[in-house]
Amino acid sequence: MAEFRLRVNGQDAVVDVPPATPLLHALRDELGLRGTKESCGRGECGACTVLVDGAPLLSCVLLVDETVGEIRTIEGIAEENLDLREMFADSGAFQCGFCTPGQITRASALLQEDWPKDDKSIDSFVRLAMSGNICRCTGYSGIIDAIIATARRRGKIPGHNR
Amino acid sequence: MKHVGARHRPIDWDQRSSGKVVYSGDLALPGMLDCAMLRSPHSHARILSIDTSQAAMMPGVKAVACVTDFAPGARYIHEGERDRAPFADQVVRFIGQEVAAVAADTRAQAQAAIRAIKVVYEPIDAPLNVDESLGGPYQSLHERPTHEPNVSRRVLREWGDFAAGLASSALSVGGKFRTQRQAHVCMETLITIAHWREDEKRLHVWTSTQAPYFIVKEVSQLLGLEKEQVVCHEVGVGGGFGAKSKICDVEAIVGLLSRKCGRPVRMRLVREEEFETTKTRHPFHINLKIHADRDGLLQAIEGDIKVDNGAFNHSGASVMGAGIKGLGMMYRPQGLKVAGALVDTAITPGGQYRGYGTTQTSFALESLVDELAEKLKIDPIELRLRNANQPGDVTLVGARLRTAGLAACLRKARDEIGWISEKASRKPGRGVGVAAAVHTSGSFTEPGSNRSDAAIDVYPDGHVRVRFGGADAGTGQRTIMAQIAADILGVAFERVEVLTMESDRTPFDMGSWSSRGTHFAGHAVRVCATETADRLKAIAAGQIGGSDLRLADGCVVNDAGLSMPLGDAARLSNEAVEGVLSVETSYVDPHMEPADKVTGRGNVSASYNFGVHAAIVEVDRRTGAVKVIDYVAVHDVGQPINPTLVEGQTIGGVAMGIGLALGEELIHEQGKMVNPAYINYAMPRAADLPRIRPYTVGDSDPNGPFGAKAIGECSINPPAATIANAVYDAIGVRIKDLPITPDKILDALAEKESRIRRFPIWNRPSRWWIELVRRFYGMGLLKILHTRNTIAVATVDPAPMESVLRPQKLTDAVASLSPDILPLGGGTDLNLQRRMRMIEPRALVAMKTVPELSGITRTPEYIEVGAATTLAKLQRALGADLPVLSEAIATIANPQVREMATVAGNLAQAKRCWFYRSGFNCYKRAGGLAPCYAIEGDHRFYHAAIDGHRCQATTPSDLATVLTALDAEAMIVGKIDDRIVPMSSFYTGPGETVLRNDEIIRAIRISASASQRTGAFSKLRLWEGDFAIVSCAISASIDSSGVWRDVRIVLGGVAPIPWRARASEARLEGRKPSWNYTRGALELELEAHAHPLKRNGWKIEAAIGVVEQAFALTQARSSAPRNLMAAE
Repeated sequence: MAEFRLRVNGQDAVVDVPPATPLLHALRDELGLRGTKESCGRGECGACTVLVDGAPLLSCVLLVDETVGEIRTIEGIAEENLDLREMFADSGAFQCGFCTPGQITRASALLQEDWPKDDKSIDSFVRLAMSGNICRCTGYSGIIDAIIATARRRGKIPGHNR
Repeated sequence: MKHVGARHRPIDWDQRSSGKVVYSGDLALPGMLDCAMLRSPHSHARILSIDTSQAAMMPGVKAVACVTDFAPGARYIHEGERDRAPFADQVVRFIGQEVAAVAADTRAQAQAAIRAIKVVYEPIDAPLNVDESLGGPYQSLHERPTHEPNVSRRVLREWGDFAAGLASSALSVGGKFRTQRQAHVCMETLITIAHWREDEKRLHVWTSTQAPYFIVKEVSQLLGLEKEQVVCHEVGVGGGFGAKSKICDVEAIVGLLSRKCGRPVRMRLVREEEFETTKTRHPFHINLKIHADRDGLLQAIEGDIKVDNGAFNHSGASVMGAGIKGLGMMYRPQGLKVAGALVDTAITPGGQYRGYGTTQTSFALESLVDELAEKLKIDPIELRLRNANQPGDVTLVGARLRTAGLAACLRKARDEIGWISEKASRKPGRGVGVAAAVHTSGSFTEPGSNRSDAAIDVYPDGHVRVRFGGADAGTGQRTIMAQIAADILGVAFERVEVLTMESDRTPFDMGSWSSRGTHFAGHAVRVCATETADRLKAIAAGQIGGSDLRLADGCVVNDAGLSMPLGDAARLSNEAVEGVLSVETSYVDPHMEPADKVTGRGNVSASYNFGVHAAIVEVDRRTGAVKVIDYVAVHDVGQPINPTLVEGQTIGGVAMGIGLALGEELIHEQGKMVNPAYINYAMPRAADLPRIRPYTVGDSDPNGPFGAKAIGECSINPPAATIANAVYDAIGVRIKDLPITPDKILDALAEKESRIRRFPIWNRPSRWWIELVRRFYGMGLLKILHTRNTIAVATVDPAPMESVLRPQKLTDAVASLSPDILPLGGGTDLNLQRRMRMIEPRALVAMKTVPELSGITRTPEYIEVGAATTLAKLQRALGADLPVLSEAIATIANPQVREMATVAGNLAQAKRCWFYRSGFNCYKRAGGLAPCYAIEGDHRFYHAAIDGHRCQATTPSDLATVLTALDAEAMIVGKIDDRIVPMSSFYTGPGETVLRNDEIIRAIRISASASQRTGAFSKLRLWEGDFAIVSCAISASIDSSGVWRDVRIVLGGVAPIPWRARASEARLEGRKPSWNYTRGALELELEAHAHPLKRNGWKIEAAIGVVEQAFALTQARSSAPRNLMAAE
């Protein structure tokens, strides 16, 4: 076992885990932040996405040993992304909800990135950006719609809400 | 109605979107144990002995269980013979079957104890597919009532007047269709917690299920308990799709372990286990023929269906029956005659899966309807309109259609997809297709399945709770129950809570399966809320008097405007307990009837829902890639209770159906699943799908709650045929074998155009021995060499490690390396390799913290990229200047991986051969005489077609392909010396490099001249982020007159290492190449070098196509002004 100091959702935290523990397990099992989900444990589906210094990373393959920076999980970003979550709810962007924390977390980072100016390429831009987050229930349309609608509302792209 | 019909947000949207829903894996009960399962490594074997004594004494172990811990003869109750015991009983019948389990303080202890259980097996020949089961010399898996080897059940359905139908026919079309094994892929892996409370003598269960009723029923009977002794609790359910319609295969085992030790026990399946051991969609072999008259009116359907049952019955017979029923519900033929056989194979068994057999048979039927239309020169939609079911019809199977919106669906789909203009404008490679389907809204499958109960509690504060025994796996059942209750009780939607799954507090319901959720929950809550309202009105009438009492705004209101709050009325009821009025009612559907036991006919459902889908696809004739451009899904769902939820079920079903049509397939070799991972399973990602456009049409159905019919399953039935029909429309080849992958398209095109590409080896002595060995493999050598079982990877956590070093200096980093202390980049492959038991390092050295390894340097002579630079950073830094590099990076995995993965890690990633990775003891894992499983196994996509040797894998790195084209060099540092290795000689084999274990890449260097060349990258893959089936990077200096110099054409995915088409490069040098000229050179070279395996010769065809794409991009770019480093 070893002690690792983390900064999670604006607070300092210390976890005592074996070396090479995935950050996901430290967050869920040691810090009780169970909003972040494990679906594959292999870095292939995005369910475990967290932000580290704003970048969306896969906490199931990111080792706690090498996690440097400000970690933000769904618990930390939910409030400031209420508009996004409401859009998710209105657009049918989740059903079983298991992938949703990862989708929201990934989308929250995407909403900080530069967006294309060309209206026609927005759908494919968002689809490509969200392709690391598998959803089996919704067929993605609701997720894509919700993110684009939020981007419009936040002034990332011109135009009205749908 | 204020709430019914409205687009209400899901009832718990706030929790669901903020990570607050508690799934079973989020529960931490005090004193909870973890457990591990011992699974069969054999497809078919007798168990001679099981010795658990040593495991029981291992540290931390609290309970060990195997078959003898259940009562003798304990079997799951699924239809027909009870053929499966919770633990293998004397015989194992598929790889992964449960043999024993251990509960211990920690998962690691449980896994260690599993390894200490000694099982002696005596292997038996195993029939691994339908053909082997029916034709081979294999021993039967079970004794079945048919007394035929490996035939579990036979059925012959003759409905209507088949002979008259034939007599009225003028023509027929027929064909053989095959559907594949599809995984449900619930995002949540199955996690079950059970806690036996000795004080209560009850077993508490928290598990992800669609049907708590069946959990209670099965667990209690297997453990010899009364039903009341098993209590299910409400948890979030992370997806179902039929996977959880009945008990899965762990709940009873976990219950048994807890009962043995009295502690809470948790079983968590890992993703690989979920893929490999949970039930799948049943593959169908369908030989179908349809007969019609000259007007295109369908007269008769005849067929012969073989269903791959897998190792146990589960729902096999009923899925087969439902598939045939689907044929008997559609259109209006005079007669049907279909024979079915359910065939046992020693593979993970099939189970319930959304669409339930109808998905499979409608693929065949709807493909043939299109063939019929073509033969008769009638438009496919027009032909379907002529045959469309009408309200009042009684179909061949006995379905009585109160409403039938098939024709309306067809017309709407025709309008929305732009059918007429699409058909009129024939664009090469573009096609439009249509297909229709029907489904029940629940079905009367067993006593009780026509009934559903509900309870409502009205609290003194006026809020309302609905209690319902089913489970909502994401379909929104709880939301519509709240909508209905809110309307009938006149309360705000937010004042209704819904409790489900709590088996001792919620009344009887069989669960969410067979598309019964809306029908039964809707009616049950409607009836209960109405009864509750009546009682409240009666109480209020005594208080406020008046007449015409109604419920509104949380009150009972009379005609005089006097009102009484609901809570007050409830409190005054003499039935109220502590002020809460509780009402429980039962709904028994009056329309459904069980199917006749002999004929299989009956009106098993109260309503029938129709759907018509239409799609536009583009098929790339060069590569075989199919892209869905537009997709319209029209459904007759009666009156939707919540349109957003209907659309969600529609689009979700379409997405799953497009997966079935274009990529998803569970593949086995020697009985073991080859691709139990998202990364090897071509299910759609967001960028693989178009915007799917859902519509609803049709009339309110009097039999449905508020006129509603079902939607959950119907939406998955049409996509396969829709896509197949569109592909046929686009390129004139009909694929009858799902999924429609690029190999099948290119092979079919080649066959249609009578093109045969030959790869002679008579003049290549170096290939003779390899060819000879390959032939011996096919003749039985593989069976001889296959002596070692596969390894159950991933079910054992990676070995613990001493440390992860974080050096601050390059010299320290290199100094710490050793054979078991490995460099760590982004970890996206290395941690996976640990999980797959490919490596077991003692420690890791984190390279991202070493300053010398990060950063990008530009000098007039070169660009140098630090080895620990992430792919995302590299793309941001150089993407604009080096489109070829940017294009390649954009295709690698996904944005999150690219934020983590490093340049060196990408280049040094291990081979992605799915046999090797998934635990096959192949030559690369086990050495010596161990075989290569790719030679006979499924090598269509990810194995070499050029230069394959002992191992058929390829180098998976796309970066390697591009950097080879850019003449990049790897700057290598080591403990002893430093060296520079050109990328073209960096690889020694598939995913194998020149790096010694005391060396790392420090940087990648690209010369300024190479970086200024024009180039492009193109890649064929099955899904967005997949590894290359074939990729191509082109790089050349193209002058203003269009002359190419320093030409590089590099192919990825076709050979063990990035493969330079050197002869073609030379022939292009100094020329202004046309594509035809280039193609000629390339064909010559590839035909001279390729030595494909049995089923991957198509990759050479695809390679030419991918080069053509890159070539066109390069040409286009060469005329554009380029500004790379112009200022430097």
